[in-house]
Amino acid sequence: MDERVVEFVSALRSNGVRVSLAESVDSLKAVEVIGVLDRDRFKNALKATLIKEPADVPVFEQIFPLYFGSGGPEMQQPQGLTKEQQEMLERALDELRQQIQELMRMLAQGQRLSDEQLREAARKSGVTRQMRGMNQQVREWLTERMLRQLGLTPEQLRDALESLMKQLKMQGMDREGRQEVSETIQQNADAMREQVSRFVGQNMLNQPSDNPRRRRIDELMNRPLSSLSDAEAEELRNHVRRLVAQLRARAALRMRRANQGNLDAKSTIRHNQRYGGVPIEIKLRRHHLKPKLTVIVDVSTSMRPVAEFLLQMVYEMQDQVSKARSFAFIDDIHDISQPFNEHRPEDAVPLVLHSIPPGHYNTDLGNSLVTFSREFLDTVDRRTTLIFVGDGRNNYNDPRADLVQMLKMRARRVVWMNPEPPYMWGQGDSDMLAYAPLCDAVHQVATLQQLADAIDDLFQHRV
Amino acid sequence: MFNSIADVTSGLLGQQYIASDEIATVVYLAEKMGKPILAEGPAGVGKTELSKAWAGATGRELIRLQCYEGLDESKALYEWEYAKQMLYTQLLRDKLSQIVGEAQTLGQAADRLAGEENVFFSMRFLLPRPLLRAIMSDKPVVLLIDEIDRADAEFEAFLLEILSDFQVSVPELGTLKARTQPMVVLTSNNTRELSEALKRRALYLFIDYPSLESELNIVRMRVPDLSPSVAKQCVEIVQRLRGLDLKKSPSVAETVDWAKALVAINARHLDDKTLNDTLTVILKHESDIQRARRVLSAGKARDVGVR
Ligand SMILES: Nc1ncnc2c1ncn2[C@@H]1O[C@H](COP(=O)(O)OP(=O)(O)OP(=O)(O)O)[C@@H](O)[C@H]1O
Ligand SMILES: [Mg+2]
Repeated sequence: MDERVVEFVSALRSNGVRVSLAESVDSLKAVEVIGVLDRDRFKNALKATLIKEPADVPVFEQIFPLYFGSGGPEMQQPQGLTKEQQEMLERALDELRQQIQELMRMLAQGQRLSDEQLREAARKSGVTRQMRGMNQQVREWLTERMLRQLGLTPEQLRDALESLMKQLKMQGMDREGRQEVSETIQQNADAMREQVSRFVGQNMLNQPSDNPRRRRIDELMNRPLSSLSDAEAEELRNHVRRLVAQLRARAALRMRRANQGNLDAKSTIRHNQRYGGVPIEIKLRRHHLKPKLTVIVDVSTSMRPVAEFLLQMVYEMQDQVSKARSFAFIDDIHDISQPFNEHRPEDAVPLVLHSIPPGHYNTDLGNSLVTFSREFLDTVDRRTTLIFVGDGRNNYNDPRADLVQMLKMRARRVVWMNPEPPYMWGQGDSDMLAYAPLCDAVHQVATLQQLADAIDDLFQHRV
Repeated sequence: MFNSIADVTSGLLGQQYIASDEIATVVYLAEKMGKPILAEGPAGVGKTELSKAWAGATGRELIRLQCYEGLDESKALYEWEYAKQMLYTQLLRDKLSQIVGEAQTLGQAADRLAGEENVFFSMRFLLPRPLLRAIMSDKPVVLLIDEIDRADAEFEAFLLEILSDFQVSVPELGTLKARTQPMVVLTSNNTRELSEALKRRALYLFIDYPSLESELNIVRMRVPDLSPSVAKQCVEIVQRLRGLDLKKSPSVAETVDWAKALVAINARHLDDKTLNDTLTVILKHESDIQRARRVLSAGKARDVGVR
């Protein structure tokens, strides 16, 4: 059984369910505790140890029967035949045509198909490793072909059964005996069909390359955000929460490690004044570990996809940030912190993007920086990480790198996230070469993966 | 403890908790494997209640840690009892000055005082909070960590450490090892994604709304005074309302409240007026109430039409 469970786990994995080694070990322990006799409980034991997301339940439900299916009705031998009738059956089977003889013998004796026979039939009917995906129609079609190969389609079986009945009659078996044999064979044929269908299902699942959901997400994660269709972007949006949960957990763990506090003498003395200076209440030094972020985002047409995902992720991480302010610009700067304070990130992002429609004006970071320096300078201080998100293309306006320089003096760090690769910097109207040297870090963020890495990196540099 | 899954079912039933076979199986596994349960599902389906019933059925103490934004280690784990330390300082003043008195220099005095400080930072002055109580208990307890999704991610990370090491470090005292390992239930209403590490460690249990039959059993058990036919009507209506896409679907808790309200007003049957008067017990949003009224009365009209 262990081996079967392990195979099942690998089928789950290849269908996009994340199962760690520890979890697969747990599933085996759980099976040991629960046993295999009660199928529902056995199933629940596997489910509780292997499936940790409601979204993965359908995959589990779909695959489970393929591995631990009821197997259809059990195969049986005809009941209540006399010894004499048994011999008649044997002789009748001997008389059958070569092609149907073996099959009918198995069915009459309640024998299941061997793996060998299944593989042979699969090969002959073209169930190959090239058949990808869990397409129900393809599966049915292949099952049909395999059944035909084995002589198990209803028509084939009817003909074969007719020949056998004729033979039995000639051997002198009575009606009741024939009835019994015929029913048994039909039941066993059902079980055998089920066996074939499951074999096909497993084969199509077990494709190592057949990894629809996770592969797809991995692929999308590494595709330029600007090249995604609406449907693909939507798929990724659904993935962002999960992605952020990972980033958040990493950030939180890192913080715990860094924050195992030392004695803070100053604060301990201050707090213990009221105890007459007896150091009763020990104060540990808690660093201001959470970064303070000010984000300046280009929301012009070309930048929108990146801006959208970045804003959503930054605000989903808000509990890891001591304060977040954000500004959007095209030709001039807009303070967009408000919507994010009032709505959930996934609602705030479309609100913001909708309120600043692209198209009528040209990107001008220089001008935006002038306004920013005049009105919002207080959002940048020595604890702030200032993040620019943009391609650094200013339509040949003055880049005002001097203002970035000034902000760098005030801020703790300046980070730039640009979807363009370095070799594009400085070409055409790109002022990136003027900005880049002023930054503490520049990240290329064309894909969601790169964006996630860049955000993860923000939390590496604690105050 | 429990010797079989059937034991679990009947033990929980004894605490007025109706467990599906899946729930009973997972509880049994948690006992045998010593793993925490992570229970998710809509509000009011009995996640909290399960832990209470589990504790009740096994005669264990239930220790509950309610999570909220900003919950930190000191509130969850331990605090120093300053007032008590203070009091002792006062009472032992003479003794202390005696110790210090013989010192020649300030440095010497400080050293002597330092020599005594572990008197003040000992278990005697430690006020254990739920987590520490749970692991320092002499008998194993059921530890309910309720609504973990409301706590911050740092707290989750901290919890993960405790749940894997079953020990905590108190800077003044050193490492405290668990005396017993608690049975842990974590609940989440899924308002945010929990870390994969936490999920990996736990047995996962998704508790959904109960079937009509189970819910009817719950109502019959919790509100025995309600007439069986009204109880059935109640549950049928609630189950139907859950099928509508309401702002807030009625929970089991609300079904039970509704049943109690009907007993209180001594309702014999659920006629239109009674329904209208009491609908606010199960539905909280005005728009949901309007919607329910429309749907339920439309249903009636159709029923009548068929007859
Ligand atoms: N299976 C059950 N058997 C008996 N009573 C139940 C059951 N499920 C729910 N109830 C009833 O519903 C009430 C609410 O359940 P509980 O508070 O445990 O829900 P919850 O899932 O913890 O909700 P929340 O997410 O709001 O905390 C219980 O007090 C009990 O009356
Ligand atoms: Mg609760």
